[in-house]
Amino acid sequence: MILQTRFFPEQASELAWHVDNLIWVLSAVLGATGLAVYAVIAWFCIVYRRKNPGELGFAPTPRILGSHKMELAWTIIPLLIFLAFFGWGAHVYNMALHPPADAPEIYIVGKQWMWKVQYPGGQRVIIGQNSLEYSKEIGGEGYFEGVMVLPVNRPVKIVLTSEDVIHNFGIPAFRQKIDAVPGRYVSTWYLPTKTGTYDIFCDQYCGTNHSLMVGKIMVVEQNEYEEWLDGKWKTGPGKNAVDGSLAHQGRQLFQKLNCIQCHDTQKSKAPVLEEIFNTRRPIKGGGTVIADENYLRESIRRPRAKVREGWEPIMPHFGPDKVSEEELIKVIAYIKSLKKGETPVRTEDWVAPVGGNTQSPDDPKPKSADPKVPDPKSGAGEQK
Amino acid sequence: MSANEGALKHHFEDIEQQRGAERLGMWMFLATEVLFFGGVFLAYTVYRIWYPKDWAAASSQLNVLVAGINTVLLLTSSLTITFAIRAAQLGNRKALMNLLAITGLLGAGFMCFKAYEYNQDYEEGLVPFCKNFGEELVHDPDDKDHSHAATTTFNQQWEKKGIAPQRIRLFMSFYFIMTGIHGLHIIIGIGAIFYLWYRAYMGWITADRYVGVEVTSLYWHLVDAIWLFLMPLLYLAGSHHSLHF
Amino acid sequence: MSTATEHEAHASHEYPAHPEHVSYLKDGWSIWSWLFTVDHKRIGIMYLVMLTIFFGVGGTLAGLVRANLLTPSGAIMDNDMYNKTFTAHGVVMLFLFLIPSIPGVMGNFFVPIMIGAKDMAFPKLNIASWYVWMIGASFAVFALLTGGLDTGWTLYPPYSSRSSHSNVVPGVFGVFITGFSGIMTGLNIIVTIHRMRAPGMTWGRLPLFCWAMYATSLIQLLATPVLAIALTLLMVETGSNALGVPIGIFDPALDGDPLLFQHLFWFYSHPAVYIMILPAMGVVSELLTCFSRKNIFGYTAVAWSSVGIAVVGFLVWAHHMFVAGISYYAALLFSLLSMFVAVPSAIKIFNWTSTLYRGAISFQAPMIFALGFLVLFTVGGLTGIPLATLGSDLHLHDTYFVVAHFHFVMVGGMVLGYLGALHYWWPKMFGVMYSDFWSRIGAVLICVGYVTTFTPQFWLGYHGMPRRYPNYPAEFQYLNVLSTAGYTIQAAAFLLIHTYLIASFFTGKKAGPNPWGATGLEWVAESPPITHNFDKTPVVVCGPYEYPLNLTQTGEKADVR
Repeated sequence: MILQTRFFPEQASELAWHVDNLIWVLSAVLGATGLAVYAVIAWFCIVYRRKNPGELGFAPTPRILGSHKMELAWTIIPLLIFLAFFGWGAHVYNMALHPPADAPEIYIVGKQWMWKVQYPGGQRVIIGQNSLEYSKEIGGEGYFEGVMVLPVNRPVKIVLTSEDVIHNFGIPAFRQKIDAVPGRYVSTWYLPTKTGTYDIFCDQYCGTNHSLMVGKIMVVEQNEYEEWLDGKWKTGPGKNAVDGSLAHQGRQLFQKLNCIQCHDTQKSKAPVLEEIFNTRRPIKGGGTVIADENYLRESIRRPRAKVREGWEPIMPHFGPDKVSEEELIKVIAYIKSLKKGETPVRTEDWVAPVGGNTQSPDDPKPKSADPKVPDPKSGAGEQK
Repeated sequence: MSANEGALKHHFEDIEQQRGAERLGMWMFLATEVLFFGGVFLAYTVYRIWYPKDWAAASSQLNVLVAGINTVLLLTSSLTITFAIRAAQLGNRKALMNLLAITGLLGAGFMCFKAYEYNQDYEEGLVPFCKNFGEELVHDPDDKDHSHAATTTFNQQWEKKGIAPQRIRLFMSFYFIMTGIHGLHIIIGIGAIFYLWYRAYMGWITADRYVGVEVTSLYWHLVDAIWLFLMPLLYLAGSHHSLHF
Repeated sequence: MSTATEHEAHASHEYPAHPEHVSYLKDGWSIWSWLFTVDHKRIGIMYLVMLTIFFGVGGTLAGLVRANLLTPSGAIMDNDMYNKTFTAHGVVMLFLFLIPSIPGVMGNFFVPIMIGAKDMAFPKLNIASWYVWMIGASFAVFALLTGGLDTGWTLYPPYSSRSSHSNVVPGVFGVFITGFSGIMTGLNIIVTIHRMRAPGMTWGRLPLFCWAMYATSLIQLLATPVLAIALTLLMVETGSNALGVPIGIFDPALDGDPLLFQHLFWFYSHPAVYIMILPAMGVVSELLTCFSRKNIFGYTAVAWSSVGIAVVGFLVWAHHMFVAGISYYAALLFSLLSMFVAVPSAIKIFNWTSTLYRGAISFQAPMIFALGFLVLFTVGGLTGIPLATLGSDLHLHDTYFVVAHFHFVMVGGMVLGYLGALHYWWPKMFGVMYSDFWSRIGAVLICVGYVTTFTPQFWLGYHGMPRRYPNYPAEFQYLNVLSTAGYTIQAAAFLLIHTYLIASFFTGKKAGPNPWGATGLEWVAESPPITHNFDKTPVVVCGPYEYPLNLTQTGEKADVR
C-alpha cells in the first residue's frame, strides 16, 4: 500500500502550482529558521552545560540582561519576512478568487450528504457515497460514486450553495476549497492542467456522513469532455441520470409537472412506473395492454381511456398546452429508463441556480428561472 | 479596635489597598459586561443594516411610552444611589437606608413596567416563540377613522407592505433577548441594593466602610448606561405615530 | 466598640488573628475545610485534582479517536459515535482542561506568593470560581454522557441549531457556565497583581510568569463575554427549533446569517488559544532561567510581548474564516494582522534561546519540559504561518495540517508548560520531591510521543485529508497508523508521570524551601507554604532572575536548602 501512495499530492490545476510554490518556499524558509534555532539551542545545551551534572544551585554565570540591537533585529527581520509571505499569499489568493470573465459556470448544490452538480447544458452529476455503508464487497470501488468531469486546460467557474448546513467543496489536487453556505451563492474557479482523476472532499463538518460526502473529479481532453456531455460515455455504473439525455430532461419534467405527486413509491394514488415499459398490464373492464410508447402517450394525453386494473380513473389529462410533443418524448424516454428503486422521492428539492438552465436548449420559450429558496425542512434526511 | 481594623479583611495590608482592590475589581467586571452586551448589540446592528425596512416596522410596534417612563425611572435611580454613597460616607444611616430603598423601588418599578410591556407584546402577538405570532387583531395605523379598533393582524399589515414576517420574528427575538438579559441584570442589581439596605439597617455600613455602596452603584450605573443604549437601538429604529399606553 | 464592629471583625477574619505557623495542607483536615476553603493554595489543589481527571477523560477520548482512525472505514465505531467522540474530546480538552489549567492551578497557587501577598484579592470569588467551573463541567459532562454532542467543539449553525439531534443545549450551557469561572479567575488575578504587590515589587521586578498571567487574565476577562453571548444566541436558536417555534438568528432559511455566529465565536476562540499558551510561556521563562542560572535575556521584551500577544490576538479572529465566505478585503486585513501577532512569539523564542547562552545548564525534568516546549512550540508556531498566509490556507484549511498545527501548540506548547510547571513547583506545593530519574524519562517520552503522533498529520493535511473524517482514502492509512502509535507512547508517558508523582507522596524525599536554588519569592516561603504564605510581608530588593548574583528577590542567598 505504501508503494501505491504518491509521495507528493497531484498538482492538477494552474493554481496548484502557485500554491505549492508558496507552501514549499514557506516551508523552506520557516524550516531553515526553525532548524537554525534548534541547532543553536542544542549547541548551547552542550557547550554550556553544568560542569557538575546533577548539582543544583549557584554556578558562576555572567549577568547578561539583554541587547537592544538584537531585540530590534529579531523583531524587524521576522516581521519583514512575514509581511513578504502575506503579500505573496494575498497575490495567490487574488488569483484564486477572480475567474476570467468568459469561464463557463457549473452550479453545485451541497446537501447532507451529497453534491448535486449541474452543467450549463443540463447534465447533472451526484457526488457522494450513495450507499451509506462502506462497500467492502466492491473492493472499495463503491467508496466513491459520482464523478464530475472537466476539460483540461479550460477555465471553469463554479457557483456553489448549500441546501441545509454549511459544507465545503474541496479538491486537494487543485489546492482549492470553498465553503458552501446556505442562503447565498459563492464562487471560485479552476483551470485544470493535468488529466487524471482526483478526490473531492467535503471540508466543513456537516453531520453524520460528512466523510462520505466525497467523490472524484475527472479531467479529460476536450473532445472526450464533449462526448461525455453528449452522453456518449458514462463515468461509471450508476443510478444517476448523468447526461443531458432525453431521459434526464424527462425526469425534470416528471417532477415539474407533478407526476411525482401520485406516481410515488408509496403507491398512494397511482401505480409506480418502474420497469413497466413493454410489459403487459391488465386494464379495467377486462383485457390487457402492452405498455409501449403509444400506450404511455395515451396515458398522458387521455388517461381515462385505458385505466390499469385496480386503480381509479382520477389522473388529469395533459394536453399539448401542458406538455408539448418534445416534452412528451422526454417524459416517455424517462419512463422507459426508469429502473427499480429509481422513482424520485417526493420531497426531493433541486435548487435551480441563478440563471441556470431548467429548460432544454431546443425549447421554444425559455421560462425565467427563479431560484427556489432552500427548503429548511430538508435538513437531516438521508437521501439516496 | 478602631472601625478601620474591623473593616479590613485579613489578606489586605491596609484599608486603602482593600478599597482600591474592590473598586478595580468592580471596574474589571463592568468591562466584561460591556463586552457581553456589546456582542449582542453588534449582532443586532448587523441585521439593522441589512433589513432596515423590517427593522423599522418592527420597532414601531414597540411601546415607546413605557420605554420612556422606564428610562426616567432608571436615570432617577442612578441619581438616588449616587446620593446614597454620599450618605454612607457621611455616616447618615437613615438617609442611606431611604435612598437605597428608593433606588430599589425604582428598579422594581422598571421591572413592573417591563412586565406590563411584555404582556402587551404577547397580547398583540409579537412574541416570536409563541404560536400566535402575528395573528392577533391589532390596530391598523393606516386606518382612516382613527378609531384605534383592532381590525387587522400584523401578518396582514406586513404582507401589504412587503415586509417579511421572519425578519420581524428576528427583531422581536433580539428584543426579548436583549431586554431579557438586561432585565436579569436589573433584578440582580435590585437584590444587591436590598442586601445593602439590610446591611445599612444592621448598622454595618459606616463612614469607613462605604465601598460596598460605591461598587454596587458602579454596577447600577452600568446597567442604566446599557439601557440608555438599548432603548434607542430597539425603540427608536422606527417611527411611532402615537404614544399610547 | 460597638457590637456591629465586633461582628464585622469576626465576619471578615477567616483566620485567627495570629495564625499558627502551620502548612496550608495541615491547616484543617476535614473535607469541609477543603470544600469551604478560601485559601488560594487549596483552591489551586482542588483545580489540580479535577483537571487531572478531566485530562484523563479527554485523553481517553483522544485514544478512541485515534483507534478508530486505524482503518480507513472506522475501526471501532460508526460515524455518529465518532463524531460525538471527537466533539467530546475537543470540548473536554479545551474547556475543562486547557483553559483552566495553568491559571487555575499555578495561577491561583503562585501569583499571590510570587508577588508577596497573603492571598488573592477576592478569596471568596476564588472558591466560587471553582464551584462555577464544576457546575459548568457537570452540565457539559451530563450532555456528553446522555447521548453526546456531535457538532464539533466549534458548534457551527445551522447544523448545531437545526440539524443536529444531539444534546446541544445542555452541552453549550455547560461551556457557557465554565466561561464565568474563567472570568472570575481572570478578574481576581488582575486585581491581585495590580493592588497587592509587596513593597519593592515594582512592575519591572514582577516575575515573567506574573506578566504572562496578567496578559492571560486580560484576555479571559474581555474575550469570554463574547463567547457567552454567542452561545446564548445559539442556545436560544437551538431551543426554539427544538420547541417547534423556530427563530433564525444564524439560520439563512429564516433570514439569519451563519457567518455572524462564526465571527462572534472566533472573536473569543482565537484569543482563547492565547489564554492557553501565554501561561505556559510564562512558565518557560521561569524554568529556563532557573536551570541555566541566568537572567532572562530581554526581560522587558518578553514581558511586553506577552501583553502584545494578548492585544493583537484580539484582532485576528477571521483567519479561521478565510474560505468561509468573508470578503476578499476582510481576508487581506486579517491575514496581515495575523502576521503581526506572530512576531511577539518569535521574539520570545529568540530571547529564551539567548538566555541559555553562557549559562550553566542542567537537565532535570522541568528543564526537559522547557526545552521540549522551545522545540515543539516553535514547530506549532511556524506552521501557523502557512495557515495565516492566504494562498496556502486555501489548500490547508480544515485539513489535518490544521489539526497538527494546533496540537503542536496546545500539546507541545501548553501541556509541556503545564507539566513543566507541575514538576518545578511540585516540591513547593507538597513538600516532597519525585524521582529525578523517572521524571526525566517521562519528560523525554512525552516529547517523543507528541512528535510521533502529530508530525505525520502535517503530511496528511498537505495531501488533503480533511478533519473530522472517520472514513478516509486508503492511501492515508499508514500515516494514520503511525499517528496512533504515537498516541500509545504518549499514554504510556502520562501514566508514568502520574505514577511517580503520586508515588512521591509516599516515598518521596522531603523537600526544603528551595530545592532548585531558585530566586523567586515563592522559594523564600516554606515548602509547603503556611496558610498566610509568609510570616511577615517580604520586602523586594531586586529583580526576579538574579541567578548570577545568587540573590532571591528579598536579597537573601538563593542557595539550595
